Amino acid sequence: MWAGSILFFGVLFYWPLAQILSIGFRGNWLATIATTKIASIVWFTIWQAALSAGLSLLFGILGAYLLYHRFFSGQKFIRALITVPFMLPTIVVAIGFTAFRELPVISDLWRVNSGVPIIICANVFMNYSLAVRVIGGVWQSLDLDLDEAAALDGAGRLRTFTSVTLPQLATSIASVGSLIFLYCAANFGLVLVLGGASVKTLETEIYRNASYNLDLDKAAGLVLLQTILTVSAFMIAQRLSKSGLAFLSTSTMQQRPRIDRRDLPALIVTGVFIGVLICLPLASVIWRAFQVENSFGFLNFTNLGGFGARDLLSISMGQATINTLRNAAITTLVSMSFGLVASFLLSRPAKDRNHSRLQHFMDLVFQIPIGISSLVLGLGYLVTFGDGLFPLRSSWLVTPIAQSLLTIPLVIRIIYPSIKVIDYRLRESAQTESASPSQIWWLIEVPIIRNVLLMASGYCAIIAVGEFGAANFLAYGDQATLPTVLYQLISRSGAQNYGMAMAASTLLIIFATSVVYLLSVLEKRTITT
Amino acid sequence: MPLSVILAVGLIATAVNITGSDSPKEVVLVTHDSFVMSKELVADFNQTSGYTLKLLKAGDAGSLTNRLILTKAIPIGDAVFGIDNTLAGLATSKDLIDGSLVPTNFGDVCFNYDKTWFTERKLAPPVSISELTLPKYKALTVLQNPNTSSPGLSFLAATVDIFGDSGWESYWRDLKNNEVKVTNGWEAAYFTDFSGSSGKGAYPIVLSYASSPANEVRSNGQSQTASILDGCFRQTEYVGALKNAKNPNGAKALVAYLLGAKFQASFPEAMYMYPIVEGTPIPESWSKFTEISTKTYGDKLDINANRVGWLAKWSAIFE
Repeated sequence: MWAGSILFFGVLFYWPLAQILSIGFRGNWLATIATTKIASIVWFTIWQAALSAGLSLLFGILGAYLLYHRFFSGQKFIRALITVPFMLPTIVVAIGFTAFRELPVISDLWRVNSGVPIIICANVFMNYSLAVRVIGGVWQSLDLDLDEAAALDGAGRLRTFTSVTLPQLATSIASVGSLIFLYCAANFGLVLVLGGASVKTLETEIYRNASYNLDLDKAAGLVLLQTILTVSAFMIAQRLSKSGLAFLSTSTMQQRPRIDRRDLPALIVTGVFIGVLICLPLASVIWRAFQVENSFGFLNFTNLGGFGARDLLSISMGQATINTLRNAAITTLVSMSFGLVASFLLSRPAKDRNHSRLQHFMDLVFQIPIGISSLVLGLGYLVTFGDGLFPLRSSWLVTPIAQSLLTIPLVIRIIYPSIKVIDYRLRESAQTESASPSQIWWLIEVPIIRNVLLMASGYCAIIAVGEFGAANFLAYGDQATLPTVLYQLISRSGAQNYGMAMAASTLLIIFATSVVYLLSVLEKRTITT
Repeated sequence: MPLSVILAVGLIATAVNITGSDSPKEVVLVTHDSFVMSKELVADFNQTSGYTLKLLKAGDAGSLTNRLILTKAIPIGDAVFGIDNTLAGLATSKDLIDGSLVPTNFGDVCFNYDKTWFTERKLAPPVSISELTLPKYKALTVLQNPNTSSPGLSFLAATVDIFGDSGWESYWRDLKNNEVKVTNGWEAAYFTDFSGSSGKGAYPIVLSYASSPANEVRSNGQSQTASILDGCFRQTEYVGALKNAKNPNGAKALVAYLLGAKFQASFPEAMYMYPIVEGTPIPESWSKFTEISTKTYGDKLDINANRVGWLAKWSAIFE
């Protein structure tokens, strides 16, 4: 199984990456990156990503507490709603964020010419749900008896949290924290669209050098820096999560407590956060979709049946929707099956030192695609898969395959921590009853993480639907997807195209909310073991 | 063997099959993202030429050119549309084109202003680009980064032409001191910052195209915006057959079709550009709201040779 995984990642990720980088490394790449300018770009990349990840975690832990550890009605809808930003194309985020121009205080942030405060807000906007869901996923299955025991000993809620709960959540916090850090470090769309000319991250520099200047020497050097950054973030996360050991509930019925008056501060902070940072931009996009020259109407939606002003689009919205859903289905299938296998291999108890080393190494191999420029990978596909063994380049399958490489690391980071916290006693007692490893996996572990699997599939599906970079880079004209069509609309002046783009975004928002909501209905309320 | 590996192998096998059945009749046109060809014209080309046209959009003009350079040995298509005069030198020096690039259409990169905004404030809109540095137009202009945007680079070339090697940098310093906003792409500038578009932003002056006002016509029959017809850059776009193409004859047929009367006539409506072939009819509704400038700047300069140097100097001012 290891060999299969290595083959998959090797052929579809590392080989094309090596092909394109080898062009750059033939040149004088070292001299181009050993400059103070690059040092300041690296520093900005790190601090903006660290700050964004820190804020996402801070609000995310509070959110996870309310949405997964407490109970109130409407919870599932809110969980679904906060997931939407994760899939929105960046230009739509930028348009949604213009709503903040109307607000006091925040409008001053908007005026900062560099756009850095807005970039950080947008990072948090997009990644908040990831923190809430990954941390919440573990939190909701923690054994509540421990909390109660601590309370009986006279510990307050904050005390219980810091001394009992936090250590048990450490693995998931470190895991999702590093994930968000890497997403923020490698997101070039947001930085480009929200930042001014002076804001540069490693990824935007790679974009500029690879796509505009065709300076592959410099791009290769920058990708090397990116790899170092990714590996370091990953190592730090592993170190931080070592102490983590959680106790999952083994009781068949575990009722989450209702929210009460003492939750009020958490409720207010989270309410304001979700209301202002998440709902306002989304509402602003939806509002614009219904605007027809200063009045209210459905014209933008009925226009979606056509091909845009002056037949701008070469395929219909319906065809683009079919392409998108088809890609999303394949991406979800491939990345879920692969992610599950990889998580299984990574989570087995290490037999010896070498086995443990192999697991750490493979974990890294699976994680690196998240931190590496997808543009560079795209260029790698262009030069690698033109002919020869795999002339993938001209097939529509290239888009879902590339999208899978983007979602597999996420699937692993979602599934792996929750397998890690499954009580080892369960496994041991099954073993003594002479169950085979695959029986233990399929009959005991997979059912326990069922909810997590649903969540991971939801993320795969919505990422694939909203994904723009790979789709725009690799999809042929008649293979355009909803986000690429949306960009075509918005790259032309005119109210009709703009209105159609907003209407299409609204449909994306509704789609993402419904998918995640429906999946959460499928979730089992309680964990039976 | 894990399911995913089986799937992957299956997928690749299918992919190989699909490409294996490539018909020699297929001709691939690589274009920038803004290329538009109606279904009727595609069908017409297929019928008259006997080929099957496939369109491949490969990013904006800059990314397009660079992707073609990277894949020169095994090109991603047979012909290319959308390399413009800021990039033609690069494409030629990299020996991408079989034969030569042929101009197909042109348009002007100009500033647009929001007529309503200026009328409401009883302020006269600027008539020249020099005026953009005046205090009365402080913090009113949004334009694009020439490092990442093709209209941005066009305007930079125009300023080099107008103010000369000794003067263009100080013009840009004045623009910066007058608080112009710089975005990385046209979309953000036009749809989030410009006040005259549906984005209803805070800046009433934007760097765009002379043809943009034709798309901002409101229900009163008037366009909300107009162009400043000074300091415009004449952008010319080209078509050419690619070297090492799989279907060189199809490429030639395609080049000829894009220069033919039917396709030329579609430029104004479909791509907001003027056809290069003289005598091609221009729709009246369109010409009513767009003007072409009588004098354009920068298009005669050797952009390919100077680009890197200009961008370094520009970046020193703005970054």
